[in-house]
Parts: sequence; structure tokens; C-alpha cells
Amino acid sequence: MKNAKRKTLLWMLILFGVIIYFPGRMLARHHVNDKTAVTDHPLKCTSCHVYTSKNKFVTSLINEDYYSPFNIAVSHDGSRLYVVAQDTDELLIVDTESNVVLHQLKVGVHPHSVILNKANTLAYVSNQWSDYISVIDLAVSKVTDTIKTGNGPSGLTLSADGSFLQVVNTYGSDLSVIDLSTKEELKRLGTGSDPTGTALSPDGKKLYVTSRRSKIVPYGEPLVSDLTEINGETLRVGEHHNIEEAYMMENITFTPSGDLAMMTLIRPKNLIPSVQIEGGWMMTHGIGVIEQGENGRIIQLLTDEPNSYYSDPFDIVVSPDGKRAYVSNSGADRITVISVDSIRAILKETPKEELKNIANNLGVSSRFVIKRVPTGANPKGLALSEDGKKLYIAEQLEDKIGVLDTESLQMEAPIDLGGPSRITVARQGRRLFNNAGHTFQKQYACYTCHPDHHEDGLVYNMAGKDMGRNVTNTQSLREIGDTPPFKWNGKNQTIYKQDGMRFSTVLTRTEQFSYDDLDAITAYIKRGIKYPPNLMYNPHGELTESQQRGKEIYNRTKDNFGNVIPENNRCYTCHPAPLYSNLRTADVSTLAVTDDSILFDTPHLGNIYASPPYLHDGRAATLEEIWTVYGEDNKHGYVNDLTKMQLNDLIDYLKSLGGPEQEEISSQTQETASF
Amino acid sequence: MKIHLKYPTLLVLFVMLVISSWGFVQPKERTEFIKDTSKTYGDKNQTASEKPMPIYGNWISYDSKNGLPGDKAYCVKIDGDRVLVGTHEGLAVLENGNWKTYTTEDGLTHNGILAMDVDPLTGDVWLGTMGGLSRWSTGKFENYTQMNSGMPNDLIYAVTCDGKDVWVATGGGAGCYDTYTRKWEIFTEENAPMHEPWTYGVCASDDKIYIAAWGGGIIEYTKKTKKFRDYVDPDGNMEIDLFPDDGVVHDITTGASWSNGMLWVATYFGLSRYDGVHWKGYFDHDSGLTSNFINYIKAKDDIAFICTDQGLSTTDGKNWVNYTTNENLRKGKTIIINGDDKKVMATSPSLAHNFTIGVDVEGDEIWVATSKGVSHGHLMK
Amino acid sequence: MFKKSPYTSFIPLLAIIVLVISVQSCKPRSLEGMIVMSQSQGDIDSPDYLSGNRWRHIPESRIVALNVNSPEEPLSVLTKDFQSACAPKISYDGNSMLFAAQQNKNDVWQIWEMDLHNLKTRQITSSDGNCIDPDYLPGDRMVFSKHEIINVATKEKGYTLYTSNLDGSNLARITYDPSTYFASTVLNDGRVVTIGRTLIPEVKDAKLMIMRPDGTKQQLFYQSEANHHLQGRVWEMDEGSIVFVEADANNEMDITSISYNRPLHSKVNMTSHIKGDFYAISPYQENKVLASYRSDKEGRFALYGFNTQSHELGTPIYKDGEYHVLEAVPVVKRDRPKKLPSEIDLNVKTALLVCQDINYSNKQSNDSTTLTNRANKLEILGMDETMATFETEEDGSFYIKVQADTPFRMQTLDGNDNVVKGPSSWLYLRPNERRGCIGCHENRELVPKNAQPLAVRKDPIPVPSPKEIDSLKRDLKM
Repeated sequence: MKNAKRKTLLWMLILFGVIIYFPGRMLARHHVNDKTAVTDHPLKCTSCHVYTSKNKFVTSLINEDYYSPFNIAVSHDGSRLYVVAQDTDELLIVDTESNVVLHQLKVGVHPHSVILNKANTLAYVSNQWSDYISVIDLAVSKVTDTIKTGNGPSGLTLSADGSFLQVVNTYGSDLSVIDLSTKEELKRLGTGSDPTGTALSPDGKKLYVTSRRSKIVPYGEPLVSDLTEINGETLRVGEHHNIEEAYMMENITFTPSGDLAMMTLIRPKNLIPSVQIEGGWMMTHGIGVIEQGENGRIIQLLTDEPNSYYSDPFDIVVSPDGKRAYVSNSGADRITVISVDSIRAILKETPKEELKNIANNLGVSSRFVIKRVPTGANPKGLALSEDGKKLYIAEQLEDKIGVLDTESLQMEAPIDLGGPSRITVARQGRRLFNNAGHTFQKQYACYTCHPDHHEDGLVYNMAGKDMGRNVTNTQSLREIGDTPPFKWNGKNQTIYKQDGMRFSTVLTRTEQFSYDDLDAITAYIKRGIKYPPNLMYNPHGELTESQQRGKEIYNRTKDNFGNVIPENNRCYTCHPAPLYSNLRTADVSTLAVTDDSILFDTPHLGNIYASPPYLHDGRAATLEEIWTVYGEDNKHGYVNDLTKMQLNDLIDYLKSLGGPEQEEISSQTQETASF
Repeated sequence: MKIHLKYPTLLVLFVMLVISSWGFVQPKERTEFIKDTSKTYGDKNQTASEKPMPIYGNWISYDSKNGLPGDKAYCVKIDGDRVLVGTHEGLAVLENGNWKTYTTEDGLTHNGILAMDVDPLTGDVWLGTMGGLSRWSTGKFENYTQMNSGMPNDLIYAVTCDGKDVWVATGGGAGCYDTYTRKWEIFTEENAPMHEPWTYGVCASDDKIYIAAWGGGIIEYTKKTKKFRDYVDPDGNMEIDLFPDDGVVHDITTGASWSNGMLWVATYFGLSRYDGVHWKGYFDHDSGLTSNFINYIKAKDDIAFICTDQGLSTTDGKNWVNYTTNENLRKGKTIIINGDDKKVMATSPSLAHNFTIGVDVEGDEIWVATSKGVSHGHLMK
Repeated sequence: MFKKSPYTSFIPLLAIIVLVISVQSCKPRSLEGMIVMSQSQGDIDSPDYLSGNRWRHIPESRIVALNVNSPEEPLSVLTKDFQSACAPKISYDGNSMLFAAQQNKNDVWQIWEMDLHNLKTRQITSSDGNCIDPDYLPGDRMVFSKHEIINVATKEKGYTLYTSNLDGSNLARITYDPSTYFASTVLNDGRVVTIGRTLIPEVKDAKLMIMRPDGTKQQLFYQSEANHHLQGRVWEMDEGSIVFVEADANNEMDITSISYNRPLHSKVNMTSHIKGDFYAISPYQENKVLASYRSDKEGRFALYGFNTQSHELGTPIYKDGEYHVLEAVPVVKRDRPKKLPSEIDLNVKTALLVCQDINYSNKQSNDSTTLTNRANKLEILGMDETMATFETEEDGSFYIKVQADTPFRMQTLDGNDNVVKGPSSWLYLRPNERRGCIGCHENRELVPKNAQPLAVRKDPIPVPSPKEIDSLKRDLKM
């Protein structure tokens, strides 16, 4: 009897399953098709509902806390490595004999670089999301002090006599000079935009700071980035060198003799219609060589080859004998080994008028590239042992330190920092994001146009339909998970569609992501990319008086004369908190004659201060210009009654905006991404 | 976006009048006046300063014929081994004996440079022009305008670097730019005790900022408290200074400069000095001041260098040394007044023009910007 | 019998699994690990490089399988049912083989596929012109050469490239210029590299051309020295080199290697020290290729292993007194090339071409080209006549909309209509293709400077020009 009941129940269950299976499956199919814009994406509920979940319990289950080593310093005797673990906010001290992590020292949020003083008694770590330097006493392996810096400290150098610490402030676009006797900031020198790299000449007389973003110029004008030369003795700006057609100059170094300075760079092709990848029509990567002495020529050389690209060059170091340089190609998982003597020969024989031409020659690299050495995922910072025999490589997304024997040019066993062995879906997404392998001939990664998962400040001719039409400003990918639709015209309802088939047809021009990879990169983009804290404009989560006044203007319903502002012309209507976007499209009358007739997706405004230029085609160099130059018809918000002071207040408020989380937690305690 | 000013038409007209006047005002010969007033000059109860007034001579002038891009020089700044001259046609830089010009083609926001200052820490040169503010950092111009930034107005009369801040006096209010946060703060009649937004001069002391506000006298801003107070002419009379030394001599102030605890205030109607407690007024009729019409003032140590339409006056508050010229003959006079003593020296060559607009002094060197070029003088020993 | 328990329901399931496994294990053994090779008894020493006869389709050739683990085993002839069969290519999963064959003498050559498990064959193409040189494309497609008219006016014939599904459906022509194409190979990047030879207006030397599988973005990949011949298919080695056999001016046939990364300037003759000739090669093991080689011109080609690192020729793997060993390929799994997306839209009848600067040369244009010989016009030449002539922009750029799948050449003109440079080699663009070129430069390793061409600020210039279209319409009485 009992069995009969069981049987009946079983059959009922089967029947019920059959009844709901087919329509259920059909509904699910319809839902997935709608989200992915394809008809064959697997019906995996986990793709969306687990990997991109915001539920804390779920995220704690599916994610891991990786170290993500970013930069390294090595002690004089080679016995210790000091590894910046960016995602755990630590400095790891590693014994190179036993390959064991001896100490894990908590520093500030999102540390960037580490340097040691001459005596190797102190280490200085820049904390990019905390705006201070951690000072570590290496004798006791403890953080003993902090020093306030500018906004977004990154690259570090010490003056020749060790009395000053120079700190590159990436977000502030300047250099803090810190008097180490008082541990106070002495002054701040203006640099190029979004700088990170810095190097002091061997004689201590010259300090370079490299910038990553180009100067903002109207679309069509040549791209120019700033290499700032600072007098190492007076600590005043000596010269701003224009580096033409290049940007993302991540790091710079001098040869030991000081005859050359060498930096990494990217030469983008944003002004050219993006009709093809073949022939270096989208991105090229290389190095800049700055001749010292009288000539002072700056030459750019591509490290790419005609059918193979080595994307996202990050760090560069030169061997103690000045014969070899090593470049980490973060997007290609390679170390490019360079003969510096060959570069010297090229410099010697290249007349000045040929310099521009040689910078566009993919064949030149065969003259100076000795070898391409494969590494773990996403090689970033490099450090050479003092004898030059070992090159240590921070493999950021491998959680390991790669070790290259510089004599045999063979990789040795890497140093495992002891991070999670499991590669989570989001971590896989981050690897994909940072790797150029999914682009034809590996010409660029997502990261190339979205450095720091943000945007590169350039306006591209994506040649959507005709070649001269629809130029578009690169959009930030920070915290966009809840702000669909995507693309300037809002035509992509999900990131699945954005990065799906059409993405491969028009952008990567190679095989599209597998659906597993698409799930992974979507998970990472939706949930893994965080805003840096807005320490410049909203350090404590409290609005200043000016920002408070600006907020009132943002939320106003009447103009200065008491007239009611139409609802669709109020700031908050289209940009309501907490996302500061109503997720709809609108006409703000900034369509160019070269644009197709479209409405614009309403962008979110979180960290808007960090995303110049503005508007869909980057025509507004600053937030002010949105209204002073392009807002005459009052269609992008009603503003023409505002006084200059009121406009300043409004913009001050806009610059204070972070993401929805900003209101909940102080940015000082914001956690870093753990993907 | 339209920028709303309280009296826009009036302001524009006045600005045009003032700017155009720099090139066309023809000074009178002042020699007789000085002779006549020599007996009445000075407070007879006071003794001459113990430190002798510096006297400059051996003038060499530069104009469009020998280095400058144009004749009209608005401002000058000695910056180490180089000299920067703001002209109507761009920035002229004298370095290693050679002049080099920078214009809008090089990235300057506007060629008419009315004011400049050099940040002593960073070496950056801040150039106030008729069309915005340029930050010139060796080889690179970074421009701020009322359209692309929070700067109050593009017409900039004065620039002062004060630590990390750069202050500007503009036709639309005073502005303070924080070079660290890249944020502008504007001060006008809406949030400061000004008569209207037009400001003409700005200078910094250790703890205060002084703004010369048109029709508003001097606006004092305490950096620590962010509080304002104003100093206006207590007698309120726009024609004459009714009660001597009762305050700033006139509400129409054209410049201010602070040095060694003294604030010097220029107006088109005389000179004022404020020691933090007392005000003292100086006029052409009762002091050695060569003219009441003062374009610019620069205080260095204990000496004020006063650019007037009738030549350059210098004073320590008691003694005066004036430099005038006959533009046609390129000869002039140096008039030294120590209390009752007065000495007139012929100088040839002399200042380029009596209509002096800017001055800077460093060590033994003095540079004077005039409406017909810039003049370089040396300390006479 | 069985006690009722929840586990009893698994018994039938287990039975099914066992059955499936046994059926699977009974499946015929594939040729995995063996070497498949084409052989010929006949004349292969006088190949016709234009028609492909005795070169890419060899009369009375056959395909055989060699078990390298049992050399004593006789060759297994795989194409007994065919009069001639050659050009074997193994699928990425190692389960099937494409080849070109004619069933009977005087039959048209067609493309066939053989299941390497059961050795059954099926015809893929049914063409009235020879179909030869197949290779697998990702996505169950293939690329091959088909003999057909390439110049309507003169009825001249050549081999054009086609792609199709492996069942012969969805046939698509991908080359449209008056050139003949042989011996295509699909590279790991997903592109097709092929031996191309321009036939009109005069026959030119063969070159390696590369294109996407939809025929877009065709460009030069490798160019031999004068009077050299590209002998056979190219193969991509694991370490990024491309290897093939090339005959020099004295008809000495050597194994040549070029780098995938820099094919135009990386040629290495790997067998210049070895007396004798090589006929064809294919990757075999790490640093090792299968090579058909003979030490003297009188002998027959035999199968050898050749070490691409040490450049040493091993002992013969297989030698046959009767047959030449021609193309040998191991039956192994290999990585599938990338499946490239296509930008073609067959609903669009035009394509767009932008050029940055017609005066661009190896040196910067303003340095190397004097005002007197600077070009400021461009003439587009069709098969029979000029299609358009127009002035280029001040920066030397032009932007044109051409009829898709229509071959054209370009030449630059100065102010007096004198030819400055050109005519170029033939170009064609596929429907909706958009393509860019830097200029008339000889150095093909240059990338464009990052500058917006003035021409793209305007609408594209139509080619043929409206005037030419009117003329064409009149001629055709449309």
C-alpha cells in the first residue's frame, strides 16, 4: 500500500515535471535569448543568478580572496622580495631561498608600489586608494609610520641623497615631494594626466614622470601625452615633453650608465576608422627611448610584429650591465627581452626625420627583440636582482612571482604566494579582461582601452556604419553592473549582448568568447570592478557646503526666477540616486551631424569626476563645458539661469558622487575587489 | 550657459576704457610739479629712513624693435635667470640674452597677458590674460577659462600664488584655485563684502588674502577662518579724501601688495598703506607720489614700487625716488626725495614710457612694464 | 526474481550503458597515428603551374595509409574507387579526411571526404569545373579551389577560391580578382593562406596571399624571389613558423621556413645544405616534419622525417620503387583554428575603402616626395576601362564606395594626369567589407599614423562613378 502510494506520488511528480518542463524550458529559453541576444546560449541559471549575484552569502561562496601581486622590490643581497599584494592590501615579504612568505604586513587600501631605501632598512609602499605612504621598518617587519600624499599615490622614487621621497599621484595628476626629515609634503608638481611611472637618473639630476592618459584635445587633433622631466636637484619641473601618438606610458627606467631612459607605451589608432585589425589598424605597443645628453631625441619603437602583438606593456627594467631590457607585456603573458645595444645602434643610424616613420614600423622589433618569454597570467611589475641574474615578475592574476633566469632566458619554478588554488568564474573573467588572446592577433585586451577597468580618455572612430560617423568616447566599466542598457545608444540590454557575437565581429574580429568565457567576463564586469574611493572630492562621505548647495540645485524644481522647471529637464529626473541614471535613453541635443539619429543612454554619474572628456563623443573637455559650451538650449538640464557660482556648486556636487555604496560606507574603509 | 553679472554692460564699457587708456594716455611733464612740491613733501616731524632708498639707473628698454612681440607691456616678472614680460601680443621671455615669444599658437589661452606670478615652489608660471588663466609649466600651457573651469571670469587683472592656491582678481570676482584639489572658489558681492564682482588686484600675506575690489576698497580674507572683512574709504567721498589717514584713500582700488607687515593699496586717486592698525594715505599733492593715478603696485621688503600714469614712484613710506621720462627724447629724470631734501638727476636713457603698468624687483635688478615697452634698470651703488 | 528495491530501476540503465560502450568499442578502428599520403607513378616533373595539372591535381595519383608502427605492413590504398586522388587533409578531430579526386578518367575533379573510421567516402562538390586543394575550416566548412572563368570578356579560366559546408551546401565564392589560387591552408588565426598568381594583364609570379575565410582583407603574406616557385601547401608549425617547399631558379626544391609573425622578412632555406629535392612537407612531431624527398632528379620521392631545429634529414620512413610519395600527412588531432566572424552582408552590394595618404611611401611623404611628383588624383582601373578618376583630399586621403566583388586596380596621378605610381595589384572587396590602406607604400610592415583622414569627413566617392554607371547601363540597355 505504501509502495503504491509512493509509486503514485512518483508518477505524479514525473507528470508534473513533464508538464512544467516544456513550457518552463520554453520560458527560460525566451528569457535567456532576450538577455543574451543569441538563441543558443546554454540555459544555465547560474550564469546570471549566481555569478553576478550581489548576495553577500552567495558572493562569499563563489569568490576567493587573491593576493594579486602588482609590484616588487628586491633586497640588495637578493634574499628578500617585497611584493605588493594589491587585493589583500598587504606587503608580502618573501624569502627567495625557501620561496616562503615570511611576513604579511597590512598596509593601506589598494597598494601600488614599493621601494627600499639605500640601506635596505626601510620600505615605502604607496597606497593608491588611501592617499598615504606606509613606512615599514624592515628590521622588525612592521609598519611604523604613514605619510600623507596627493590623490592616488603610485610610482615612487627617492632623491639621490635619500632625503626626499617623490610620490606620483595618479588621480591628482601630480607629484608629491615629501621631505623625509619632517615626513611632510613639501610641494606638488604638475605632471601629465594619470601618471604612474617615475625614475631618477643614475646621477640624481633628472627625474622623469610618465603619464598614461593623453592631453584632452578636440577629436581629430593628434594624440599627445606628457613625459614630465623634473630637475632632481631643484625639484622643479624642467620640461614637459610631448610624446606624440602615444599614451599609457606605465613605467620608465634609466640604463645604469644613464645614456638612455626607456619607457613602455601604447600607440593607439583612435582617429582612424576601426575597419580592420590587420596591419596594426587598432593598437600598437612599444617602448619610448629618451636619449640623454645633447641630442635628447625621443624615439618610439614598436615591440609588436606584423602578425603578432604584445599588448599592454607595463614595466621595464634594464640589466646592471645596461645590455638588456625586460618588458612585461601584461596582455600577452610575455616578457619581451630587448637588446639595448641594438637600440643604441638604431638610434645612431636613424636620422631625426625618420623617427616618426620608424615608430610605425612593425618590422623594427626584429632588430632588437631577443626573445619572448611566456609567463603566468598578467605579468605586471618587474624587479631584477642586484647581480642581474634573476628577474622577478609579479604575475598578478596567477598569484605567483615568476622567476626568469636571465642567462638561459628560461623560466624557473615560480614562487607561489599561497593564494587560493581555485580559479573562480570572476577571476577567469578578470583574466580574460586583461588578456589580448581573444582579439585577432592579440592586438589588444579589454584592459587596453579600459585601463584600471575604467576608460582611456580617448574618443574612437568605431566606424559603425560609415567611416566618418559616430565617434564615441570610451566609457568607464566601473560599477556598471546595475546600469543597463549599455553602449552610448543603449542598444545592448545586457553585458552578454555587449560582449557577444557582434563584439567579436566589430571589435575583436576573431572567434567570439565561448559561452563559459562570456559568463566569466560578464560576472567580472558586472560585479568585480569597483570604484576607487573618491578621496579628492568626497573623502568622508559628507558633502561640503558647496556640494550641499550643488545638491539643492541638482534636486531643484524651480529656476532662479521661481519658474517651475519641466520635470524632464531636472537633473534628478534622468539621473536619480542611487545609480544616478534612470536607465533610459534621452535626447540632450548633443547629437552631432556625423551621428546617426539616436537617443543617448543616460549614463550613471558615479565617479564622474574621473572620466573626462564628457558627452558621447568627448566634445566637452570638462564637466563645465557640458553646460557652458554645449548646454545653450537648456536640453541637457535646465541651467541657463544659473550664476557661475551656482554652476560651480552643481559641478562640485557632481564630482562628489560615487556609487550607491558611497552613502553606506566610508570610502576610507572601502574594500578592494577580490576577484 | 550664460554667466550672469550684475552690471554687465557697465563693466564691459569700463574694462574697455581702462584697457584702451593704457595705450593712449599722454602724460604731462611732471618736472615742474616736483620742483613746486619739494618743500611741502613729507612729515617734518619724521626722520628719513635709516636704510637708504634704492636708486635704479642704467636703463635699457625693449620693445617690438628689439625683442618684444609688441610695444605694450602689461606686466613683468623676474624668475631666476630669466625675465617674463606679459605683453598685448603674448608672453616674452628673456633668457640667456635672447627673447622668445609664446602666443596662443604655443598654447597660451590669450595673447593679452595682464598679470603673472611664479609659484616659488614649483616654478610654474601663472599668467592672467584677457581670455583666461594659463599655467605655464616649462613647455606646457594648461588653460583655465570661465567656460572650461570654475574660474569666475576670463578677464584677469591680477594673479598671486599662495602656497598651493592661486588667486586671481577678475572682472567677475576673485577666484581661488586649489592646485591640489583642482577646485575653484569664487568670491563676489554674493558671498563677500564687495560692491560688485569686479576685482582688480589680489595679494597674500602669511595668513590673509587682500582683494582690491572695484568700488569696494580692500577685502580682507582670513585663510584660517575663511571670514571676510572689508576696508572702505570711511569718508565715502569719491572726489577727495576728506579725512586724511582715516582708512583706504578711495573705494576704487586698483591693486594691493603686502610685504614685511605692510599692505600697500593702489587706487586711481592716491596710495594707501596699512600696517594692520593704522592707515596712511599718500597723494601727489602731499607726498612724493608722482601721480594719484596708480595702475599697479608691488611691495618688496620695505619698499613700494608704484606704477602710475606719470612714471614710477618708489617709497619706503617716508622717502621717495621717482622715475619719469620724456618719451620722445628717451631722456628722463630720477627724483630723489629724502624728507625735505630733493635731488633731481637726469637719466639717459630712461624709462621707456611714463605710463607704467607693471614692475618687478629682484636683487639689484628692476624691470618696469610700460605702454611702450619694458625697461630694465640696475641698482646704482 | 529480483527483490523490489529502489536500486532495481538502475539495472536497465546499467544495461544500456554497457550496450552503448560495447557498440562504441566495436566501431571500426580509425587510422589514428598512421600517415596518409598521396602517391603517383606518373610524371610529376613537368608540372603546369598555371593549370595545376600534374601539380595540384595529378593524374592517376592515389591516397594510401602507412602504418608507421608496422612498416612491414603493406600500404592500405584508401582511394581504390578513384581514378586519381590527391591533396589529403585531415580534420581537426582526426576522424576524417578531405581530398580531391576524379572517379574516372576525364572526369571533373571533385572534393571528397572520407570517414577515417569506416573509410567510406562521400562527394562534397558537384562542379562542372575541377575542384581541388581542400582544407578544413572551423564550423564544419571547407575551403577549396575551383576552376572557372575569371575574365568574362576573354573567357580566360583560372582557379578561384570557394568555401562551403562539408555537405556541399552554402557554397560561397571568396576571390574575385583575375588571379588563380591553389593549395590553400587554414592557419591557426583562422585565415586562409593560399598560392595566388595574377593572370591579367600578364601572368605574374606566384605569391602567398592571405585572407579571411570570407575573402575579406586579402593581402600579401609572402613573396618569393624572382623565378622561384612555391611548390606546395604551406603548413604552420607549433612554434609559429610557416614551412613549405620552394623551388629556386634552378628548380632546386628546398624546405623553406618563414615566421608567422614576420613572413615577409624571415625566410630561411632549411635544406640548402642537402643535395636533392623536396616535394612536400607537413608537421609530424615536435620539431619534425614529414618530407617527401629524393636525392637525385632521376629517383622517386620517398618519405623522410626532417628536423626543423637541427635541419637534419632522417632515414627514410617509407620508400617505394614504383610510386613517388607526394603529400604525406599524419592522422592526428590538432588544434582547431579560430573561427573568424564575418563582416559580409550579402544584402549590401558595395564596400568601402579608405586610404590615408596616396603619397605615403617608406619615408614620410613630405620628406621624400617633392611637390613636382606629388600625386593629387586617383584613377580606379577596372578590368577593361577606367572606373573613376577623382581628386584626393589635401592630406592625400580618399574614401570610396566600390561595387562589391568587382576587381579593380589603382594608380595615382599628378596634376597633369601623369601616372605617379601604379597601377597597383588587383583588389576586390566583399559585400559590406570595409578596408583601409596606408598609401602606395612598398614597406608592408608599416602601420598607419594615428590621424583622421580628411576624406572620411565626407561621404564616400562612388566607384564606378555615376557617369560610368550610366555608361554601363546604356551599354547593357538597362
